[in-house]
Amino acid sequence: MTTISKDETKNLSTISPESRITKKDFQQCFWRSLTLDSSWNYERMQNIAYCYMMAPIIRRLYEDREERAAALKRHLEFMSVTPHICTLLVGISGAMEEENAKNPEFDENSINAVKSSLMGPMAGVGDSFFWGTLKLIAAGVGIALASQGNIMGPILFFLIINVPHFILRYLCLDKGFQYGTQFFKDISSGGIITKITEAATMLGLMVIGGMTAANVSFSLAINVGSGDWAESVQSYLDQIMPGLLPAVLFGIMYWLLGKKVKTTTILIAVMVLCIILSGIGVV
Amino acid sequence: MGQAVQVILIIFIAFFAYMHCYMGSTMHNRPIIVAPLVGLVLGDWQTGVVIGATLELVFMGAFPVGASNPPDFVSGTIISTAYVILSGSEVTAAVVLAVPIATLVLLFDNIQMTFVLTWASHLADKYAEAGDIKGVEWVQRIFGIGNKVVLALVVGLGYILGVPMIEKILSYVPEFVTYGLDVAAGVIPAIGFAMLARMMISKKTAAFLVLGFLLAAYLNISVTGIALFGLVVALIYVNFMGNKEVAADDDDF
Repeated sequence: MTTISKDETKNLSTISPESRITKKDFQQCFWRSLTLDSSWNYERMQNIAYCYMMAPIIRRLYEDREERAAALKRHLEFMSVTPHICTLLVGISGAMEEENAKNPEFDENSINAVKSSLMGPMAGVGDSFFWGTLKLIAAGVGIALASQGNIMGPILFFLIINVPHFILRYLCLDKGFQYGTQFFKDISSGGIITKITEAATMLGLMVIGGMTAANVSFSLAINVGSGDWAESVQSYLDQIMPGLLPAVLFGIMYWLLGKKVKTTTILIAVMVLCIILSGIGVV
Repeated sequence: MGQAVQVILIIFIAFFAYMHCYMGSTMHNRPIIVAPLVGLVLGDWQTGVVIGATLELVFMGAFPVGASNPPDFVSGTIISTAYVILSGSEVTAAVVLAVPIATLVLLFDNIQMTFVLTWASHLADKYAEAGDIKGVEWVQRIFGIGNKVVLALVVGLGYILGVPMIEKILSYVPEFVTYGLDVAAGVIPAIGFAMLARMMISKKTAAFLVLGFLLAAYLNISVTGIALFGLVVALIYVNFMGNKEVAADDDDF
């Protein structure tokens, strides 16, 4: 198998001695992976961009028009994964395509089988980590500064997300190619993925709780009693627990979402209710 | 600065923001980054930063997961920030404007994603059938960037037509409505937090949500502080519970 690679890639250094995929292909894959969400469509979601990422590898591995067509069609199938770690899938499909190209016995259907079995769990882990934990922490830190007009708010927001993001994106591609399918199996069977996901979830949930207390505000303007004895209802509530009403509101929203009420409906309802309450002087 | 230059810069900011998903989904399309940029163009970046913080909270729950697409907060942020800065109104006015604009533009974007980009996907199929790698690559480049250009132009149009019109409409709005919407701006973030919590929570981890809330409510610890406490908790969990966890999993089988 190495005999083919020697004459074809004599001027280019490959990512490993057994591979025909060059370092340049690897870099191209990395840059192209940045575009994953840009041509999102309702039919097959990220399929066009995924195929675009695979294109340098397909070009390197297959000379034959028929083979190229088959590979392109394979990677135009449905794709939905967290964009920041999609490189792991690219690495894995790349490693499998390479195997397919040199081994006639290889079942090419297994490439998409592995892809579709991995993208679900990867999206599960990736979405909750990037949109949940990481974005949330970045927003928490960023909003606290930005609400005071501090320019460090947006800057830190960007860095907190993107420094880990780009490191992970690169590592995923590298490990994906190196270990092929073995990689994800190894880490998920060792329970490491579950553990990290759970730890990230704890961190994320604490931040959600903290941000709810710090950023959701709602207070009542009504009084009980009259004249000198008038006492505001809000001060009673504050004595029971600070942030009681925001906590209750959070609970209501949580419950409504569980009832599958659309967020847009909730949003409009909140606006209308607040206007009514303001009109009758309750808030 | 000339009016025309301003419009071009606004369109450019919109394009740059929409391009985030062609540049690694870096989330630089979020209000907290886009609003300061609009502020910069209109000569008041500081107000932009503050509006960014407010709108970031409002759109907290707006993130794309799987097949759900969030309101188009880029257009909402740009047009409402421009309005607030140009008219000198309260920051909360941005909230009132951003939400309906974002919802409207999402409708338009949905049409693109349902028809235009699905058609692009079929076009790519055709090139793939012929084994034409270049063809597929160009479909991605042209449609991937092209739909951002279209959206940016929509924002530009909204900016030219929308801002003066919004000003006229808002001048007739009674004060209790404005105040009611101020109050709503304080409540809306709860929707986003509840969405995030729903995505992440499990019976095992629910207590941490409460812990975070109580730390902030009773002890006034900042969110950065809570994140650091959370990090320690997470590390303790990984280090101490690790082996038990795996062992427990083994027992299950």
